[in-house]
Amino acid sequence: MAPIVKVSNLDKYFGRLHVLKNISLEVQPREVVCIIGRSGSGKSTFLRCINFLEEPSSGTIEVDGLIVEGGEKGKEHRQLIHDLRLKTGMVFQDFNLFPHMSVLENVIEGPVIVKKMDRTKAIELAEKNLNNVDMLWKKDEYPNRLSGGQKQRVAIARALTMEPRVMLFDEPTSALDPELIGEVLNVMKKVAQEGMTMLIVTHEMGFAKEVADRVVVMADGEIIEQAPPEELFENPKDPRTRALIDRYRSGSN
Amino acid sequence: MASIADQGAPIPQAELIYQAQLRKVRIFRMHVGITWVALLLIIIFFFSGQNFLGIKTISLDTDFISRNLSFIAGGLGETIRISILSILLAILLALLAALGRLSTFPPFYALSTFYVSLIRGTPLYLQIFFFFLALPQIIPAWAAVPGLWAGVLALGLNYGAYMSETFRAGIASVSKGQREAAIALGMTNGQTMRRIVIPQALRFAIPPMGNDFISMTKDSALVSATGFVHELMWRATKVGRAQFNNLEALIVAAVFYWGLTLILTYFQNRLETRMSKGDR
Repeated sequence: MAPIVKVSNLDKYFGRLHVLKNISLEVQPREVVCIIGRSGSGKSTFLRCINFLEEPSSGTIEVDGLIVEGGEKGKEHRQLIHDLRLKTGMVFQDFNLFPHMSVLENVIEGPVIVKKMDRTKAIELAEKNLNNVDMLWKKDEYPNRLSGGQKQRVAIARALTMEPRVMLFDEPTSALDPELIGEVLNVMKKVAQEGMTMLIVTHEMGFAKEVADRVVVMADGEIIEQAPPEELFENPKDPRTRALIDRYRSGSN
Repeated sequence: MASIADQGAPIPQAELIYQAQLRKVRIFRMHVGITWVALLLIIIFFFSGQNFLGIKTISLDTDFISRNLSFIAGGLGETIRISILSILLAILLALLAALGRLSTFPPFYALSTFYVSLIRGTPLYLQIFFFFLALPQIIPAWAAVPGLWAGVLALGLNYGAYMSETFRAGIASVSKGQREAAIALGMTNGQTMRRIVIPQALRFAIPPMGNDFISMTKDSALVSATGFVHELMWRATKVGRAQFNNLEALIVAAVFYWGLTLILTYFQNRLETRMSKGDR
């Protein structure tokens, strides 16, 4: 099967700092890939390069047949990036719901403003997705009246309502109180079961073990190891992977 | 189930504490009110013309005041008109200047900083005269109402320059994450600004804008200097000079300005309370 995401020879510099070093990764349709690594390993930057929130210094991003080269300029390039972003949905660590809009308005904003979708149709779609994350009952509430877990569920519904081909999650539970992490992970599990292709930067090893088809380990701006979770967690090859897993084991048990 | 009160139990402690707090607030407000009235009475006494315990006070021509009160009050409408036109112009200019200030395109940035520097670097009084003298030369049709438009242009430009800083801070107060969320949804830069950044920036900027508006209603008095706009200050100066009762006329104008400011402050406070209750 042809990969739905194909990253080739991605390099990223912040000034002189070389933060991503020649990264290549392919993701199959419906695959769930968790990216783990210590902070500063470049995993978030890598994810943000996929929808060009960070412009890659060089390399190619291909999503659903659309190829965008990093490090280019011009109108055509901007149009390609725009099209790429329509194929990807993103969920952030800090939720980033729009505080001046109600839950429903947050979710229909993308379809109505960006896709010029008919408002009633957008509401229909938004309500379906809000119901899916069990947040329809709060649709007229404003974000400041929601818990962190509720906000993140709305953010997931907002991204899904754009009907992306791939969902990118950037540490979706890192800003949450421990007792709220479960509800967000459950929603993500549900989205995965419905067949969405997902790339997830996370520290939740238990979740990665349970839901991921493949776990990618990053260190110092490189992919050092990747394998199905049972294999990776039982038999890590790289000592840095072992150290990472041991640290989480001792932390969570 | 019987309630506590039915059993004759004492009122819960939380309720007592709440009552005590309310009482404290009421007493505080009452004392403030009494002091305001006392200060007002002292001022009135100083203009009463009475001699009390050897203190000399100012004597006012009350007959002049009652004869000319309605003439001076007739300027209120013009004062309000100038203020509203000017604040609308100022808001527009401030927004443009703030966007220019945040622009990475050199000409926009330069235009914005040049405008703010030039306007903030010269006196408002001078600007009013400049436009009063210059406008009719450029647009002859405006010669018929030169004072009003010179005043509105000068006040609008002036307050626009100062308010651009408020707007800039408002725009800067919107977190980077908000922009990223909008961009990730596929919004263009323009859509992100219009739909996400500016609505949030305005919310931040509205209270200081209220202050600027109040301040501007009083600065509109400077427009009287051109002699062509018959607002409060112009009318007070005119009748005062003509009948050698300058002090009385100015005091009447002062009362009107103060009253106007009190009304505007009241509305500003209500607006702020409402906004603090809102989301965010």
